[in-house]
Amino acid sequence: MSPRDRLAVNRLKAKLPLDGPTIDRFIGRHGSPIIEGERATFLFRGEVDEVWLRHRVVGLPDPMALERIGDSDLWAVTTVLPEGSRVEYQLEIRKGESYERFNDPLNTRLAHSPMGSSSVCAAFGYRVPDWVSPDPEARPGELVDEVIQSKALGRDQPVQIYLPARYNRAQRYPLLVVHDGPDYLAYTSMKTVLDNLIHRLDVDPLVVVFVPPGDRLKEYPNHAPHARFITQELVPLLNERLPLIDTPEARSLMGSSFGGVASLSTAARYPGFFGSLMLQSASLVSTDIGFDHGGGPVFDPVVKFVNGYREKPEQVVDRIYMTCGVYEPLIAPNRSMVPVLRHTGTKVHYTESRDGHNWENWRDGLGGGLSWLFPGPQKFVYE
Amino acid sequence: MTTILLGPQRFTITVDKTLRSLGLEGSVAMINSGWEEREGDDDELGGYLQGRGDNLRLYHRLVDSLSKDRDFARAALRFRDRHDELRAFYGIRLQGAVETVAAVAHRTSVESIGPVAHSAAIEAVRDVDRWYGEQLEQLHDEIATDAAEHSEVIGWHRSEVAGALDACAAVVIAGGDVRSLMRTLRLFDVRIPADKPVIAWSAGAMALTEQVVLFHDFATHGVSASEVYDRGLGRVRGIVALPHARRRLRLSDTDRMSLLARRFPDQRLLLLDDGAVVRLDDDGPDLPSGSRTIGADGAVSVVEDAA
Repeated sequence: MSPRDRLAVNRLKAKLPLDGPTIDRFIGRHGSPIIEGERATFLFRGEVDEVWLRHRVVGLPDPMALERIGDSDLWAVTTVLPEGSRVEYQLEIRKGESYERFNDPLNTRLAHSPMGSSSVCAAFGYRVPDWVSPDPEARPGELVDEVIQSKALGRDQPVQIYLPARYNRAQRYPLLVVHDGPDYLAYTSMKTVLDNLIHRLDVDPLVVVFVPPGDRLKEYPNHAPHARFITQELVPLLNERLPLIDTPEARSLMGSSFGGVASLSTAARYPGFFGSLMLQSASLVSTDIGFDHGGGPVFDPVVKFVNGYREKPEQVVDRIYMTCGVYEPLIAPNRSMVPVLRHTGTKVHYTESRDGHNWENWRDGLGGGLSWLFPGPQKFVYE
Repeated sequence: MTTILLGPQRFTITVDKTLRSLGLEGSVAMINSGWEEREGDDDELGGYLQGRGDNLRLYHRLVDSLSKDRDFARAALRFRDRHDELRAFYGIRLQGAVETVAAVAHRTSVESIGPVAHSAAIEAVRDVDRWYGEQLEQLHDEIATDAAEHSEVIGWHRSEVAGALDACAAVVIAGGDVRSLMRTLRLFDVRIPADKPVIAWSAGAMALTEQVVLFHDFATHGVSASEVYDRGLGRVRGIVALPHARRRLRLSDTDRMSLLARRFPDQRLLLLDDGAVVRLDDDGPDLPSGSRTIGADGAVSVVEDAA
């Protein structure tokens, strides 16, 4: 039997014509998508004229048409999906002149983001890290709401401050500032992740400040008032109020996508203020010639900043933990920034995942990033 | 002087049998300050000691001292800040020196310079260890000792602890966080009389030696080289205790293990894995048969019966 014949959907095709109960049994047995080695078969069932798989996986065609199986109401498409991959997708249908887009009704697995939800296809070998789910043995930290009057931003800026379990004013803690703070809490379970990683001794107990954006597209790409707020208002205030280690080495700034640009541009405006950065799928788009970057007007200030940085790169922190998904459009810009940053003397830890530009990818990267930035006390404990 | 070092007690319990084998009567002083705020959750351990355990509650005493003596609390903070900074600089120097040893070892040597360069690189690692040890002693002398010596609260606790140690038939030291264990042993000036048998495991075994060495070859990040942390109680001489060795050391990497052994040429690297029972009946460095050690060649060997 050839590899193609071994696919479940092809074995089903061999039984044409298909009746309803046969299709019911097939779907009941396999669900959707069907993962067979490095092949994923997506299914849709319904009386429609056309069906497409919609996704943002760089390297695969989008839209990807599903084919009707025989004369039945079952549609399918098979694509390659390498081991360890995780992709988010939706289905689009056409009935006459009417188009509709929705999550896969045969797949209960969903991912959530500020843009809504998507269906999730996890390839063979992908596992949700076990430190993502609440561990009853892990003592929970505490989230405290604060409002900071910001002259730089000209508004009251709310923040949420994570204090680790067993927080004690007689101790001193490192500090992590997180861009898109509420989204990290909502879509990466970052509080649970912190509780678990600290409990496992993978990460040192630390204080984490989750900062929500104001006008994100204006304030995140290299915005002087934003950088001033973070470095001249937020961190000094936290140093006054909390028992923090007041050195650059113990201060880190992180963000994903535009939040990654906000992190690097803030550090670039205040070199040496932060000791390290975590950049997740940072939107570090640049142009080698001209200004046609293809990202639309919102990317203009990003490209201006990144082009400027690439022209005169300088070391702004000691260490950077960088991640990017190989299925996202930002993979090339991120790869190309690694040697630029390393050339400045910055220690850069760069990793790629078989994932896209989404919150679960960034969630899965937290374990490696946080333990690299704030190594836990494993060496001290001998039970 | 009888000292018995055991393997970790989490899955393979041997402390109960070991204590019974000593045939002693009377209370058993329990030191489990490495458990920190869980120090009081000692029912299970007390059960293994046949209900004869007398918990010295050193961690509780530390917290009490910090809350009642502000001068000591300030000194403790100063000490911790300076110690953290010292360890950070030690880590940078150590990591560089250890990486140099590996680089030298892998460089092709045609003119026989390689072995000389290798020995010199290892000596440089020892020099970094020595520098750290000297700086730490200075720190203890400058800050920690003075504040503790003048504290009434600590004096009172010390006297209670000394009384309990005098009255007990044996001492048991459990594992946990070796920082807290060492801190409390030092703060309360724990001196175990030579005639009292001691049973210790994990961090407790490390604390009894002359030099506490931190190690975790599989730690996710941070300084990957083994680090000298502090001097221990020195009851067990000539030994570096390595609990959980199989789980924490790359024992098959003989280059790495050889460097570890050669960093401490006057010490024997004793592996204390699950089920290990190493009985030392005087203060000499002789290990009983069956003990497993790492030699200068980086290989693990088993001590055989002298007969």
